[in-house]
Amino acid sequence: MLTGFIEQTEGEIIIDGYDILKKPKKAKKEIGYMPEGVPLYTDLTVKEFVTYMAEIKGVDRKIKKEKVEKIIEQTGLKDVENKLIKNLSRGYKQRVSMAGALVGEPKILILDEPTVGLDPKQITEIRNLIKELGKKHTVILSSHILSEVSQICNKVIIINKGKIVAIDTPENLEDKVSNSNSLYMTVEDPEDKMKEINKKIKDIKKVTLTEENEDGTKQYIIESKEDVDLRKILFTELAKENITIFEMKKVDTTLEDAFMKLIEGGNK
Amino acid sequence: MLAVIKKEFKSYFCSPVGYVFIGLFLIMFSVFFYLDVFQYQSINFEYIFYSGATILTFIVPILTMRTIAEERKTGTEQILLTSPLSITKVVLGKFIAATLIVVITEVCTFLYFGILSYFGAPHITTALVTLLGFLLLAMSYISFGIFASSITENQIIAGVITIGFFILIWFLPQFSSIFSSFSLINMFSKFPTGQIDIADTVTFVTFTIVCLLLTVIFMQRRKSVR
Repeated sequence: MLTGFIEQTEGEIIIDGYDILKKPKKAKKEIGYMPEGVPLYTDLTVKEFVTYMAEIKGVDRKIKKEKVEKIIEQTGLKDVENKLIKNLSRGYKQRVSMAGALVGEPKILILDEPTVGLDPKQITEIRNLIKELGKKHTVILSSHILSEVSQICNKVIIINKGKIVAIDTPENLEDKVSNSNSLYMTVEDPEDKMKEINKKIKDIKKVTLTEENEDGTKQYIIESKEDVDLRKILFTELAKENITIFEMKKVDTTLEDAFMKLIEGGNK
Repeated sequence: MLAVIKKEFKSYFCSPVGYVFIGLFLIMFSVFFYLDVFQYQSINFEYIFYSGATILTFIVPILTMRTIAEERKTGTEQILLTSPLSITKVVLGKFIAATLIVVITEVCTFLYFGILSYFGAPHITTALVTLLGFLLLAMSYISFGIFASSITENQIIAGVITIGFFILIWFLPQFSSIFSSFSLINMFSKFPTGQIDIADTVTFVTFTIVCLLLTVIFMQRRKSVR
């Protein structure tokens, strides 16, 4: 909708001061869009494609050639600039599509699932490229891979069924839903005293057994009251009870958890 | 718009489409040329175009069926629709590129004009009027072909719709005289006699504009119901 591919049924979209319905030409000039699934004209060479994109975006003819060169360089396509797009690998195609979005120096870049279908090396390369671009352009990244989002983005908008559920930085979102007072533990507990441990330490709210491992160790999640760090007490107390600690760490919340919680909240 | 024309024109020659169109037309045209000259002892350059016009029925779809259908299928439509270009310019660009191919074909037919003028004295103005009429006819056909291509994602269906429609309007007058003014080929028939009929010219141009307009409206409409 932002890109003018679909028309909105109500409300208005204003891009850099231009309404997309009333002044589509000016509004669209400020947007570089990289569609999902990277549709490209596969019969063209990389250079031809980028040049074509420059032309339909109305880049001045005199500076066109030099701009195209610059963008090919920037997106690391110099080696393949004279190859037909259909013969390129997925990673390169992704770059070509991004190059196409970049020409004409739009203020806003909209990237739809830019790393789907790439191998890990290509993913890091593309991510670095996006981070680089973020310095000059406003990048709107739509993605299902939330770890990627928390890595790259400064601001996250979660939309559920057309309604905005949350707008915040990834860190804040993680903090919002985090249960920082949960501990994750793996212990060896032959006498099965773990269940009674909450009677010994008052601050413990709940002890849940999550898994019993084959080697006899057990995994627990221990929830405490707020603002208490249990680790020290647990360490000494459990030693007294003859329970050996194999592993103990704070439960991390990721953006995924935040996402799930927010979406579930919205559905209820 | 120039960019679209350039790219479309180039893609006709990057793929076999352009060559197939021009090649097929010239082969058929040569056959009719042979028949006219040797069977009917005629040295009229223009008259070959009576038969030539019927070839268009079958080969224009080759040119037009992929224009929009393919963009929709591969998703490259998104590139065009999100660019600052208006839909009208995109459609017009595609139309002009296809028309240019027909113009090239017409230029090629001058070869036959050359052969004829070696043996006799064919009339140059009549020939030019014929070519103009032929171009107008081709433009009407192309615009309908592009329209057909815009209503489906499938190139083959677009092609079949186009051929079906052309054959239908070609033979309609034979069923009933009511339809006599429906046939675009009949409308072309005055041009080879050397006269430019205003009514026919206007019909051709109107038909072209209506088809292109419908294409634009269809594409615009899809944007809001997607």
